[in-house]
This record gives sequence, C-alpha cells and structure tokens, in this order.
Amino acid sequence: MLKDLTSEKLIQLRKKAKDWQEAIRIAMDPLVKEGFVKPGYVDAVIKNVQEMGPYIVITKHVALPHAQVEAGALVNAIGITTLAVPVKFGNKDNDPVKYLFSLSATNSRDHLSALADLADLIENQKFFTMLDQAESNQDVMNYLKKNSQEGKKCIKH
Amino acid sequence: MYKALVCCRAGMGSSMLLKIKADQVISENDFPIQTEHGNLDSIIGFNGDLVITMDDLSEELEDQVPYALGIRNIVDKIEMKEKLEAFLEQKEQK
Repeated sequence: MLKDLTSEKLIQLRKKAKDWQEAIRIAMDPLVKEGFVKPGYVDAVIKNVQEMGPYIVITKHVALPHAQVEAGALVNAIGITTLAVPVKFGNKDNDPVKYLFSLSATNSRDHLSALADLADLIENQKFFTMLDQAESNQDVMNYLKKNSQEGKKCIKH
Repeated sequence: MYKALVCCRAGMGSSMLLKIKADQVISENDFPIQTEHGNLDSIIGFNGDLVITMDDLSEELEDQVPYALGIRNIVDKIEMKEKLEAFLEQKEQK
C-alpha cells in the first residue's frame, strides 16, 4: 500500500523549483535525508532523463523520478512533492509538471502494491485536488490511509 | 498469444505502472497479449512480439525490436487500447 511506503516526512507541499533538475533534487531530498537512497541515486535520476528524455513524466503534470537499484536505492519508499509553480520537463504531452512521486525501489516486487495504489490514485482528479488543497502533510496521509483501506475492502468482498 | 515486454530504463517505476495499466486494458478488451516487465537490458535476448514503453524511449528501440509501442500518457486507456489494436491489426495482416 502506498500509505506504508510514504510518511509525513516524505511529503512536501507547494515547493519552489526553478527548473526540472531542481524539482527532482527537491523531490528526492527527503529520501536522501532519511537514508532511503544514496546521494548518487539523485544524480542517476537526472542523468537518465538527460540521456533518455523525460520519460519519467508519465501523465499530465505528473513525474515519477526514479533510477535503477544499482544507482543507490536502499529502502523501498515513495516521496510526494507538489510544486507551487509547475516546471517544464520537455515532455510535450504532459508538461508542465506539478506533482512528483519520487521512488526508491530495491526490488520490483515489494513496491508493486504501492504502485498499484498510485496507478489508481493518478487516474482520480480528486487525488490531485486533495494535494492542491491539503494544508498539512497529515491531511495527505489521512487521505491515503482512508483510500487504501477502501481498496482493501473491495478486494476482500 | 503474443508476448509483450513492458520496460523502462530502470525496470522499476514507470514500467511497473505501465504494466498495471496495460494489463487492465488487455483484460478489459480480451486482447491475446501476455505481458512481462523488465528494464532496457531485458530487450537483449527478448524473443517476444512487442515492447511497450514510454514514448520517449520507444524511438530508440524501434530498430532493436520487432514492434515498439510508445505510450505518452500512462492513465489514458484509449491511447493504450488504440496502440495495442494497431499492433494486433499489423500482426493479422502478415
């Protein structure tokens, strides 16, 4: 579940970034501080985009900054960052980016249910409205807890 | 049944989300496609029919794989459906 891989410490609302590189660094910062990724992981995320293009921009206004585990992912975690002013990543379909979900994944299995949660959330405009309106990181966590519990119930019945 | 590889650079983030979405569209439409996921290295030695990836990566792959399908918007099920249908049509013509 997404709520298990993120926490109030990994959420940042309405941050200011001057360009996409700074946006990635800001989005990754809590994961570095918590020791969930090595500092070099952040450089790898940026290098990947420079080499391969802005493929981490996965849908309108949403980026999923991440790199390969070898680059220094230590603990499975997902950070949530919103920007006060959206920035361009050079992705013509989905720019500008306002929401960043920074991902550290040590293997492809353990974070699957969290990504499945995220896949559902990013289809739902309510989730982004909530992120825009949230006054605290706790508001975001409360939303995630409520919504993944509902998800669980659906699976059981 | 066709075999598709869903991949991104790292094989962790976008490709997993992309696989979740592709599987939803495939099962909703009963497309005869089976997906597995990996990173760009998985392409070496891949013997399937189709590679599904993000649009920015697909151009680089076109020469390396039998069929590369690039998705621009991961939550756009219509885009996914149309691109999978185009692949299936091409297969049937052969």
